[in-house]
Amino acid sequence: MAVTLLAFLLPLLWTALASLGVLPDNSSRPPSWRGSASLDHFAEVGIAEPAFWQELVTSVLTAACAAAIAVGAGFLAAYGLARAPFRSSRVVTQGFLVLASLPAMAYVIPLSDLMRRVHLLDTFAAVVLSEAAATAPLAVFVLHGAVAQLAPEWEEAAVLDGAGLFRVIGRVVLPLVAPSVVATAIVLFVLDWNMLLVPLVLTSGEIKTIPLGLSDFFTFERELDWPTAAAALIVSLAPVAVLAGIFHRVLNRFALDLRTGA
Amino acid sequence: MRLTGRDRLFLFAPLALLLAGWLVLPALLGLLATFSTYSPFATSVQFSGLANYAAVVRDPLFVAAARNVAVFTLVAVPLELVIGFSVAYLLRRPFQGRAALRVLLLLPWLVSPIASGVMWHFLFGGATGIVDFVLGWLGRPDVPSPLGDIRLALPAVIAVEVWRMAPFVTFLVLPSLASIPTERWEEATLSGASWTGRVRHVAIPAVRPLLLTITMLLTGLSLGTFDAVLILTGGGPGTATVTPALYSYNRAFGVNDWPVGATSGWLIAAAVLGAGLIYVRLSRTKVAG
Repeated sequence: MAVTLLAFLLPLLWTALASLGVLPDNSSRPPSWRGSASLDHFAEVGIAEPAFWQELVTSVLTAACAAAIAVGAGFLAAYGLARAPFRSSRVVTQGFLVLASLPAMAYVIPLSDLMRRVHLLDTFAAVVLSEAAATAPLAVFVLHGAVAQLAPEWEEAAVLDGAGLFRVIGRVVLPLVAPSVVATAIVLFVLDWNMLLVPLVLTSGEIKTIPLGLSDFFTFERELDWPTAAAALIVSLAPVAVLAGIFHRVLNRFALDLRTGA
Repeated sequence: MRLTGRDRLFLFAPLALLLAGWLVLPALLGLLATFSTYSPFATSVQFSGLANYAAVVRDPLFVAAARNVAVFTLVAVPLELVIGFSVAYLLRRPFQGRAALRVLLLLPWLVSPIASGVMWHFLFGGATGIVDFVLGWLGRPDVPSPLGDIRLALPAVIAVEVWRMAPFVTFLVLPSLASIPTERWEEATLSGASWTGRVRHVAIPAVRPLLLTITMLLTGLSLGTFDAVLILTGGGPGTATVTPALYSYNRAFGVNDWPVGATSGWLIAAAVLGAGLIYVRLSRTKVAG
């Protein structure tokens, strides 16, 4: 077991060491280590790719907005589906999972054309809404599972007290499923954070996210220095890793189990 | 609660608007365009029947891409499931630090396919790589990066994807395995079940719907493989790791052959929707049975 864990984590450890300037020396026998730890390579990221820190901000903003929109719209629809009287809601929910599995490549070519025609190409709105649409189906699937588990009695009691839909959702449903909603938002944030294809085809450099920046400076400058690349990788991983670390208990609630609805 | 028509509008309209405008409408317009000579910069558009589809399936590059992605999916998805499930199985009993370990296992998935491509490019490489370091300790000579080898490039790309996704499968499966009551394991052990028996009769039934869902997501992800190969190999060497998604992208945006790019993009959609039908069917048999 320890071997498996090591196999998964060793490559990242290797990268972290390289970002600090500690590199293996494979020409000696047996291989040894050289270099002493310093933070210089993190400063070099900004020199190799001057826009890197700007890209970091853009990534945070797009991923946060896209995740918020997708979870918001997804939650409302998931609630509607879970409490809908029609019996095929299970198949509809499964349909959302299939839609969540659909690779963006299947439709981004016409999407970029459509965005150009409505003059949304190279805009923040187009990137955010396209990323939200790509990930919202997954939110519907997960949150449907969370709402379907709730006993409807709580809501019925609130209705008897005269509460309308807004109050029922805000005061009864949302507090009960809040951990699932937060967990879904984090997972979607990560998916948006790492998404390449959507910003790639919808922008021509105006809205640049981290994966786009990384792929650019790697494609055009093949001779990129490994410690600098490693430092950029660690910086791009840090925000989502910290997010996952802070919310690790809540992340338990990200469940893909297909539970039978009410 | 009983939902009125206005309630339903409020609940479903935001999602419907989002999906219609930024997913369904482009997808359907794209489908329509594949039966014509449409391209964003074409001056006239003509109906062309199945000509685009014929052009795509006759292109040897697309055939190579379809073959690669079939191998990729058939090897990567089962490996991700088996490794992910096995690690979760080993971690099923509570112990000090399990929660922290579960988050650590999430780390490879947090690395974007692009970043993982940059990383593995260097780790597979010579001077500072991890592969030669380990080989050096074992007293073996250095090997050239598998990414440049026509036979090893696809297995290497698959290995990187398994590295990224298998721990994520563990992350998803672990809570369900951990929530199986202890009595169930004890019963199985008392009735003389071997560990394979315990996996088959206690563990698998508890997580079967979950595994089915994960399989669907992983299959879709594999069929659309794009950024995982873009940096790592760019589709090469030769056509060894080209995928339909890479092919579509290069056609539509690289050489401006829009109709062919959009058409092969739709073939990816068709494959995923086909897998989706099997998924819905398999989920239903579970309910009946």
